[in-house]
Amino acid sequence: MKIYNKYISAIMLVVAVATFSACNKKLDVTPGKDIVPDQIKTADDVRGVLMGAYTNLQNSSSLGERLILIPDLLAGNGELSFRGTFFNYGQYDSKTQDATSDIAEEIWRRSYFTINNINLAINKINLVPEDERPAILAEAKFIRGMIYFYLVNLYGKPYSAGNITTNLAVPLVTDAITDIADLPKGYQGRATVDAVYKQVVADLQDAATNLPEDNGSEGRANKYAAYAFLSRVYLAEAKYTEAVAMADSIIQSGAYTLNNAYDKAFNSVINTSEDIFAIQQTAQSNAGTSNNGLQTFYAGRGFSGRGDITVDLTVVPGFESGDARRTFTYLDRGINVGSGTYTTKWQRQYKVIPVVRYAEILLTRAEANLRAGTAVGAPPLEDVNGIRARSNASQLAAVTADQVADERVRELLFEGDKLWTFKRLKRNIGNKSYDDNKLVLPVPQREIDASQGKLTGQQNPGY
Amino acid sequence: MGILLLFCMLSFAQSKPVTGKVTDQKDGSALPGVTVKIKNGTIGTVTASDGTYKLNVPAKGTTLVFSFVGYGDKEVIVGDQQVVNAELGTGNKELSEVVVVGYGTQSKREVTGAVSKIAAKEIENQPVVSFESAIQGKSPGVVIESGSGKVGQAMKIRVRGTSSVSANSQPLYVVDGMPVLSVSSSDINNDPTNPLADINPNDIESVEVLKDAAASAIYGARGSNGVILITTKKGKTGEKTRLELNAASSWGKPTRKRGFLNAQQYVDLLEEAATNDGRTAFATQDPDNPEYATVEEAIAAFKDGLENPDYGLFPYLTVGKDWHNPGVGTNWEDLSYRDVAHTNQIDLSATGGTEKTKFFVSGFYNNQEAIVINNKFQRYGGRLNLEHSATDKLSFGMNLNVSRTQLDRVANDNIFSTPGQLVAQSPLSPLYYEDGTINNDNVLYSNGLYDAQYNRDKQVTFRTLGNVFLNYRILPSLSFRSELGTDITNLTEDQFISRLASDAIGKGFAQSYFTQNVGLNTNNYFTFTPNLGTKHSLSTTIGMSYLQNDLSRTQVQGEYLPSDLVKTVSAAGSIVFGSSEVQRYTFLSYFLRANYTFNNKYIASLSISSDGSSRLGPNNRYGVFPAGSLGWIISEEDFLKENKTLNYLKLRASYGNTGNAEIGENRYLTLLETTAYPFLPGYRPSQMGNSNLKWEKTAQFDVGLEFGLFDNRLSGEVDYYNKQTSDLLLRANLPYSTGYEFQYLNVGKMENKGVEILLNSVNIDTRNFKWTTTLNLAYNKNRVKNLNGQIIESPAKEQRAVEGQPIGVFFMPKFVGVDPATGDALYQDSTGKGTTDYSNAPRVVVGKSNPDWTGGLTNTFTGYGFDLSAFFSFVQGNDIFNRAGQYQDNSFAGYDNQRSTILKRWQKPGDITDVPRLTQAFADGSSAAGLSSRWISDGSYVRLKALTLGYTLPKSVVNTLKISSLRVYVAGYNLWTITNFDGDPEVNSGASYSAAGEPDNIGGGIDYYTPAQARQITVGLNVKF
Repeated sequence: MKIYNKYISAIMLVVAVATFSACNKKLDVTPGKDIVPDQIKTADDVRGVLMGAYTNLQNSSSLGERLILIPDLLAGNGELSFRGTFFNYGQYDSKTQDATSDIAEEIWRRSYFTINNINLAINKINLVPEDERPAILAEAKFIRGMIYFYLVNLYGKPYSAGNITTNLAVPLVTDAITDIADLPKGYQGRATVDAVYKQVVADLQDAATNLPEDNGSEGRANKYAAYAFLSRVYLAEAKYTEAVAMADSIIQSGAYTLNNAYDKAFNSVINTSEDIFAIQQTAQSNAGTSNNGLQTFYAGRGFSGRGDITVDLTVVPGFESGDARRTFTYLDRGINVGSGTYTTKWQRQYKVIPVVRYAEILLTRAEANLRAGTAVGAPPLEDVNGIRARSNASQLAAVTADQVADERVRELLFEGDKLWTFKRLKRNIGNKSYDDNKLVLPVPQREIDASQGKLTGQQNPGY
Repeated sequence: MGILLLFCMLSFAQSKPVTGKVTDQKDGSALPGVTVKIKNGTIGTVTASDGTYKLNVPAKGTTLVFSFVGYGDKEVIVGDQQVVNAELGTGNKELSEVVVVGYGTQSKREVTGAVSKIAAKEIENQPVVSFESAIQGKSPGVVIESGSGKVGQAMKIRVRGTSSVSANSQPLYVVDGMPVLSVSSSDINNDPTNPLADINPNDIESVEVLKDAAASAIYGARGSNGVILITTKKGKTGEKTRLELNAASSWGKPTRKRGFLNAQQYVDLLEEAATNDGRTAFATQDPDNPEYATVEEAIAAFKDGLENPDYGLFPYLTVGKDWHNPGVGTNWEDLSYRDVAHTNQIDLSATGGTEKTKFFVSGFYNNQEAIVINNKFQRYGGRLNLEHSATDKLSFGMNLNVSRTQLDRVANDNIFSTPGQLVAQSPLSPLYYEDGTINNDNVLYSNGLYDAQYNRDKQVTFRTLGNVFLNYRILPSLSFRSELGTDITNLTEDQFISRLASDAIGKGFAQSYFTQNVGLNTNNYFTFTPNLGTKHSLSTTIGMSYLQNDLSRTQVQGEYLPSDLVKTVSAAGSIVFGSSEVQRYTFLSYFLRANYTFNNKYIASLSISSDGSSRLGPNNRYGVFPAGSLGWIISEEDFLKENKTLNYLKLRASYGNTGNAEIGENRYLTLLETTAYPFLPGYRPSQMGNSNLKWEKTAQFDVGLEFGLFDNRLSGEVDYYNKQTSDLLLRANLPYSTGYEFQYLNVGKMENKGVEILLNSVNIDTRNFKWTTTLNLAYNKNRVKNLNGQIIESPAKEQRAVEGQPIGVFFMPKFVGVDPATGDALYQDSTGKGTTDYSNAPRVVVGKSNPDWTGGLTNTFTGYGFDLSAFFSFVQGNDIFNRAGQYQDNSFAGYDNQRSTILKRWQKPGDITDVPRLTQAFADGSSAAGLSSRWISDGSYVRLKALTLGYTLPKSVVNTLKISSLRVYVAGYNLWTITNFDGDPEVNSGASYSAAGEPDNIGGGIDYYTPAQARQITVGLNVKF
């Protein structure tokens, strides 16, 4: 029997030594649900990276909510009021936000996540067949240009305030960052308003040139979306001739028409005939249902919202009582509101969020024609009356540029436009001047702290 | 392995029979039940009722070890003797004690590291869900916070302080040699739960805590946070089969309630706020365009909002009833707790052994209601521990635990419908309408009790935890042990929210969540104990360990359920979320340990481990963790040997390195996550990598003194330690303009220094009466030394890691009192003066969440069949922040019901108080509701944790009942507390994880509508057959 003992000892030693050495490879573990940048190898992979940016746009700190809601809260002068329990939103309603505002931080954060996402798609463009590259690049630049346009307007003084080559906006990052070696490109001071506007125009012009008229899927940007954003940029820069040209190109294409009734433009499952660019939502993919998302705050409890924002359209100048836009409200309750009036625009969950509607383009052409003294396309009065007619507002006999702007405020109420219209036209918001410090968001304190000095001393005045 | 085992079965070694008798040194009487074992072998037996034994021992040089409870161990060399007798005396029991260390056991006397042992009797038969609650306050330097009165929740445990900023600082748990899952794998949208609740505390034989580097360095890579070794009960060789039954019932209530306004006070104080506001409005109105003609008119206008029969708050809340004399109203705080929470636990075990086979079998059942409504824990399962000696060289066996636990959960503290938030409701709101239905309309917030009727959240865990092992003695001095273990957790969490409940607003909601976590572990090591004569003794262990953990998780959520008949996702009309993921991690370790003793008084020990982990960058995957220690048993020296007073004195010192890599997976990689824009899936960057990521290292120095005085009537240990952590695995902030939020870097330093004292005293020891006292005390001072300028905050941003300060300091404006002239809250401005402008008050360090001193004191009296034990635990030097103060103590800035402390409010100029005046409309500027140090208070406490009175039936009675012993007991838990904190001081909302499931070492000491701990009375019975 003793012999077995020897064998056993020998076997054990062999087993032990074998286990000792076989395990080393076990330390190489691949991520279970994520990928690493080196795995991006095909055209489909690159397109996937571009699509990732759309998910960023849908986020509640982007076009899914805050890029629309926060400017509206800042521009609010009685037509809406934040009555929820969230202190951070209440600060924007009362225009008392400070440098540690998590909302200012989250918008900044999500915007740069989107930009790096786009920069990565651009960086990998050589993996796409040559003939497909211009369109992919154009779509990427559309998103980047659009996001920088929101950033420059939110964090910098308005373009209309002048001093654009000295007023600071946001850091300009246009290279992909995927590795430690790339990181220094992300540590930057704030570029000027002028520099960021130049980047926006360059990106959007490239997008307008190379984007197809139909990009296959209604969620994706096309040529007209680029024209539409260019028209907004030119309005802000008071380049009215260019704004007219952009708006007229969209109108002349015949690709879009007004819905026959105002309510049809909202709460739609898919883009309507007047959606030029819109955020898509479904039950599975949306900007949020309980604590985030435009609908969550604007809709009453009856529609699964928080019911935090009540509206009062009687204070909006020039609204006729029979105007369908003025009666586009309903009564409901909120988590912190016993009974209140809510806007019907953001009533239903999981619906398309219009970012640019055709109605805006008609109003842009009208206003810019009047301001430039040009007569491109239909007369301004016709554009304005067309929009008024579908909401049963009375037909005007004549119209001035400022009246078109008023019409624009009424038409686009709660769609995130008012603050920018007021700023470019230098109109006061309540008792605050158009260039008031509190109408500009703070550079997030966290960003300054983490910038290794690049943003030191670059906080906006008033914070 | 099967073939290997077969071979093993066939082998028999040459041996010879030895007989003998064991007697008591004192009176020579025979000692039955003494364990007789071959030293370093697997074979043994116990003495019969006449003290005799018979054992086959190997032919060559063997030593027999005789051990018996209450007596010192005795070793006798067999040589050529056929008969080996032994006399046992009562030595220092503690010192003859064997403690479990990593990959083996050691005599307590020879241990040169800091190891605390907690024996079964400290853990058994308590109305707790998991064993950590039972050892709270019983081991110096081990701080255990259970957080709340909810059951089954994760606990925060720190061994010698927090030693990391961003990596998990919970200790490593090892059950019978196998590292086990100790981190919550439940739904991250609720509070983390405690996987250790799957182990029955009554199955535990001992818990050893490895505290210093010398003790824990063998677990090097994972040793920085300390190691908790759990050893389950085993049978003993030759022990007669013994059955044991434990049964207990408990009744629980909350320890403390906070106290809120009753209905009359609620009405009176809101009226006062309206009066104040009317006065302010009148005084501050525009004189050119006055809104109010008189002050009375202004006050009436403000009161109208409360009193108006059509839209006023009071008639609305009282459902139209007269609110003028509402009496006491509804006590929502009482309604958030059960009237009485019942706990029943029963377990039955059998233990025994023959010369060749020993076993422990148990079955257990535990049903524990939390004091909070709707929260319940249930566990049942069984354990089998078996070992068989095939030959004198070979033994093998298995330890296996199979259990099912069910946790009926309530939502986390931050959800309106959770029971803890009921206190926000107005006492004017009735609970029931006159028709008997629950009021869910005439309330300030949706009524959690209304939702509680419908909703459920049930977590069921199946846990299989066990290992098989094999011991083989290659040579008398060389043995090999191989262990192969698995830890399988299958957890499902089904959540259902009725369409009738306010949380789901007409839609209904169902979620199915499934997690499977499979840990696979193997340890293989050789132990070499050469015979070097009587002066030298050496024991070395060398081996390897591998751990592979696979997590897989799926989650589906659906909305729109037809009715309450089907409560699962299958009934959902719309699937709103679905995901599945898998993730693996691995640890590989090679280790070596050598213990050398010279002349039975000089001890040296060395250990080293070389560890790799999948968690770290390929450039720095391996770390080497050495530790060394020295011991000197001074009492063995000639100058002390005969000393009558001092019978034992040992000095030990250790220094070594340990590591930590508990940062989750793939942190060293730049990652892109998948995205799902409707019909346009894709990828987006989600994490910046760092291929140089390496181990966080902790260097620890420990010096300890162990002593025994007066025949060891007074014994104890004193330790000083200094823990320096460097290369902190820091979740460093990146500017967002890089496109990323954070990157894990090895930067920064942190330290923990402290003292631990343990004293055991036998105060009285007569024939019939004994009084013993155990005291443990620990002091820890934590300091963040360097973070490279990084600002690292807790997820809620109330707490920070600040250089030069202990981790987790509260960082917010400092409240300095109430202006006696105006009643406004005052905050400290940047010049140190008081200001009423909250936004002008900078955030400063205003408190800390970690205690300075912690400890426990136990007094035990036994005699005449009775045993009485009183255990106090205490914590000193920490602060608690009541985050809910901004709502429940805000001078009626809203309508939430207020703490009774508001009754001390400022009312008229000249009042000196720290509660600002009541105001609803003019809170701006004075902002009584802004987060500040106003709600931070001292969290120190002394608590009578357990008071137990037991009676053991006399032998004569027991014999007639044909059982071997019977004890009945009654115990009370948390019966008495002193604290300055005006809630339950044992509180920590959300335990130690962020919402994303990441470890949060910075947050802590937060009370946020957190349910209080339970005060329980237990009646129980212990029978041995």
